Amino acid sequence: MSDPNPVSPVPPSSSPSPPGAGAAGTRARKIGALDLFLPNRVVSGPVMGITILVQAALVLGLWLAKPVALLPGPQEVLQALARLWSTQGLGPELFTSLRFSLEALAWSTAISLTLSYLTVLPVFRPAVALASKGRFLSLAGFSLVFTLLLSNAHLVKLALLVFAMSVFFVTSMASVVAAIPKEKFDHARTLRMSEWEVAWEVVVLGTLAEAFEILRQNAAIGWMMLTTVEGLARAEGGVGVFLLNQQKHFKLEEVFAIQLLILGVGLFQDYGIGLIRRLCCPHADLTLERRSG
Amino acid sequence: MTTTHSYHEVLLAARGISVTRGETVILRDLNLEIRDIKRPGVTQGQVVGLLGPSGIGKTTLFRVLAGLEAPDTGEVLLGPEARPVARGVMGVVAQNYPLFAHRTVLGNLVIAGRRSGQSGAQAEAKARELLVQFGLEEHSRKYPAQLSGGQRQRVAIAQQFMCSEHYLLMDEPFTGLDLIAEENLFRFIRAMAQTDERTTFIIITHDIEAAVAVADTLWLLGRDRDAEGKVIPGARVQAIYNLAERGLAWREDIMSSPDYLRLLGEIHALFPRL
Repeated sequence: MSDPNPVSPVPPSSSPSPPGAGAAGTRARKIGALDLFLPNRVVSGPVMGITILVQAALVLGLWLAKPVALLPGPQEVLQALARLWSTQGLGPELFTSLRFSLEALAWSTAISLTLSYLTVLPVFRPAVALASKGRFLSLAGFSLVFTLLLSNAHLVKLALLVFAMSVFFVTSMASVVAAIPKEKFDHARTLRMSEWEVAWEVVVLGTLAEAFEILRQNAAIGWMMLTTVEGLARAEGGVGVFLLNQQKHFKLEEVFAIQLLILGVGLFQDYGIGLIRRLCCPHADLTLERRSG
Repeated sequence: MTTTHSYHEVLLAARGISVTRGETVILRDLNLEIRDIKRPGVTQGQVVGLLGPSGIGKTTLFRVLAGLEAPDTGEVLLGPEARPVARGVMGVVAQNYPLFAHRTVLGNLVIAGRRSGQSGAQAEAKARELLVQFGLEEHSRKYPAQLSGGQRQRVAIAQQFMCSEHYLLMDEPFTGLDLIAEENLFRFIRAMAQTDERTTFIIITHDIEAAVAVADTLWLLGRDRDAEGKVIPGARVQAIYNLAERGLAWREDIMSSPDYLRLLGEIHALFPRL
């Protein structure tokens, strides 16, 4: 005889589960140090903080151990930095470079964003694609051209750095614009937006977070290229000229000291841009898995 | 069970719609019509389900009805005055409930109101009213990424109600919903359809059970066959089920009705031939 009631309700539990029963399903998982070695884990802030400290200590230890005898140790580098700062005018040179870097970043951002947003107009797409190909060209090849075309050394330097940064900025930003899915445009269109309004809402506002992220990368590229550019047009000085001079005289402690200083300034600038991005685009990281890490 | 109702002026008509992409005929001479349903003592809008198997051309028809794509031939006309459809007139809720990720829930609604000519204050007032109506007031300052699927769907619908003229086209709204969320959506659509006589939902789906549960009329989209049984390319409306006539519309308990199950069987039998 078959069961007249084949689906039986599960009776409510009257006693606690024995220790260990259903542990995986019922016990809240504790985030621990082991998670650092498992793929795609999100670790807590303190665990990540300790990890950073440990890795920084390892790098410092390795540096102190001086595995390559030729390279200066931390103490020598810090002494060189103090010497350069107090007696050789590294501070004013750094200020010159910082001001120049920010000026170039502003110009590069304005030009690159304008060009990238202009790709909504088909007529500009070939020109922007051509501009982005400029990233394969050497800066040295342009220094003479810009020197002949422009009236002073500052403008030559500025043109070189703006060019160097913009070709990468345009490439990244134009890709972001080109990758916007059709459904986002259609969504804006269903809200009675004109095509110009669609471009503003979807292309400009909709990609602002990505624009900040690219700006951040480009600011770093700017510092990387700064020494080359300042070396190509030396009249105004700057930390790049300073670095090249120290390198010419094989002063490794000084070279390392300047690199360390540039790294510090670069990281500060990177943090600043990241902070502005978080303030302007609070929505940007809401869906990231590692946000809480 | 029968319900007293009557049909009045045409609210939407698609006449002779054909769409071809390259060599492929997607839609062929498709015709359909929605009329205003009136029920004594009830404000009753329309809920039409457009059913069809995957790949039949539902999304293309969705885009044509929304005014996002012009058909090769034919036209979509709205209202008794037969105005050609233009984008923005028909509210559209796509499958993944698109919203502006960079705007808050309230911001998403206000921008929709502003684009349809409302002042900032008017748009915000209407947005707040809709948020209360849709049970979303506590989420007004959240970003779309912070919402659940069901909340996101309601915001997307509310956004369209900010600027559309009573018509709401929904593409596969039941996909990915669990049983409770689906029933909530049924209730929501039924309730919204009773807010205005002209409110018209057109639900494009392949989910037969859900479509029968919520619609008052069903259209089945499919392809004709020639005398030898070969498929003729291009989808058309193959069958129309008037659920109101069958007493299956506007009922909370419809899913437990034997008539509902019988109709499901009927449509399931027809589906493989579409």
